[in-house]
Amino acid sequence: MGGETTFNRFLATVDRDGALEEAGAELDLAFSRKRLLGLTAAGAGAVLLARAGVGRAAAGLSATDIGILNYALVLEYLQASFYTEAERSGALSGKTAQAARVVGATERAHVKAFLKLLGSQAVKRPSFDFQGVTEQQRAFLRTAVAFEDLAVAAYKGQAPRLQSDAVLAAAVGIHSVEARHAAWMRELFGITPAVHAFDQPASRGQINRIVASTHFVVAHPDMKGTAKPQYTG
Amino acid sequence: MQLVLQLEYTQVAFYQQALRDAGLGGELREFAQTALGHERQHLAAIRKALGAEAGPKPTFDFGTKTRSPDAFRKAAIELEDIAVAGYNGQATNLTKATLAAAADIVSVEARHAAWVRALGGEVAAPDPVDEPMTASQVVAGLQEIGLRTR
Repeated sequence: MGGETTFNRFLATVDRDGALEEAGAELDLAFSRKRLLGLTAAGAGAVLLARAGVGRAAAGLSATDIGILNYALVLEYLQASFYTEAERSGALSGKTAQAARVVGATERAHVKAFLKLLGSQAVKRPSFDFQGVTEQQRAFLRTAVAFEDLAVAAYKGQAPRLQSDAVLAAAVGIHSVEARHAAWMRELFGITPAVHAFDQPASRGQINRIVASTHFVVAHPDMKGTAKPQYTG
Repeated sequence: MQLVLQLEYTQVAFYQQALRDAGLGGELREFAQTALGHERQHLAAIRKALGAEAGPKPTFDFGTKTRSPDAFRKAAIELEDIAVAGYNGQATNLTKATLAAAADIVSVEARHAAWVRALGGEVAAPDPVDEPMTASQVVAGLQEIGLRTR
């Protein structure tokens, strides 16, 4: 499976209107077959996200809510690491550098909030390999658009499943911020920030498959506590 | 639901009037046209959901807010932020099915808010979490912008 093929499939999955693909067609993506083949087993991301669904009650939360929060935490880890790495690479300039700083700080704040909420039930941060997309501005923006649109769809898919009103109130406040990020990154990339009148949700299965297809998640963490691994990927 | 109906009525009227009177050009005009199209679809969906219980269209006086590109841009940011906070504020009062439908709309309002901020060169997503507004805060905000009857 070639790197470009998997990444393009990832983009195609999140890029419903085709704007990303069109705008990025001329890009020389920083992916190579060699780099991807050097990574750990395919599907690590899917396994990780599936395992995130396991846990005992923390701070009075139900197992369902803990599972959803851990799933959101993994997506926030992914985003926070991506922006932090992009900032450090020094490859970004102008408005894009500013946006990466602001959005990166926000995603790191989301990670902190989930860690605090979950306490000892929180999953650990996985290892990531962004395969060069943080080292080139256009590739960075293209990936940022995909990540943010994905986060919006993921939160939207989980919000109605949350059982605690307090957690739901927090989740919807984060969901709309991810949508602001998506629009901002789209504007910077040069595509329409708001394409459809209604944004569609995505299920955990859909999100897991998309994240796994990127091969950005290269190692899943050990689970803390008494959680039992449930391999579905 | 009556609250979000007021919200969508206000947005449709605001963008319609701005496109007529604000002298919008370039990407700001493109934004207003796109947002109007979306708000019309939101309004239609909410009216359909409410059926006979849908209240009548209110009247509006947007004053100078729809008379110049700059005033329009500032008011559009306020209006879209109110929409986001209004939908978010109702999340825990809704049935799961209605919540799912509202979630499909609120992220589009958030995209509008970020888009119109970015057009002015502003930080498009200033806060890490969007704070909700109560129904009465939303109505007060809409009245500030130009909603005249309820």
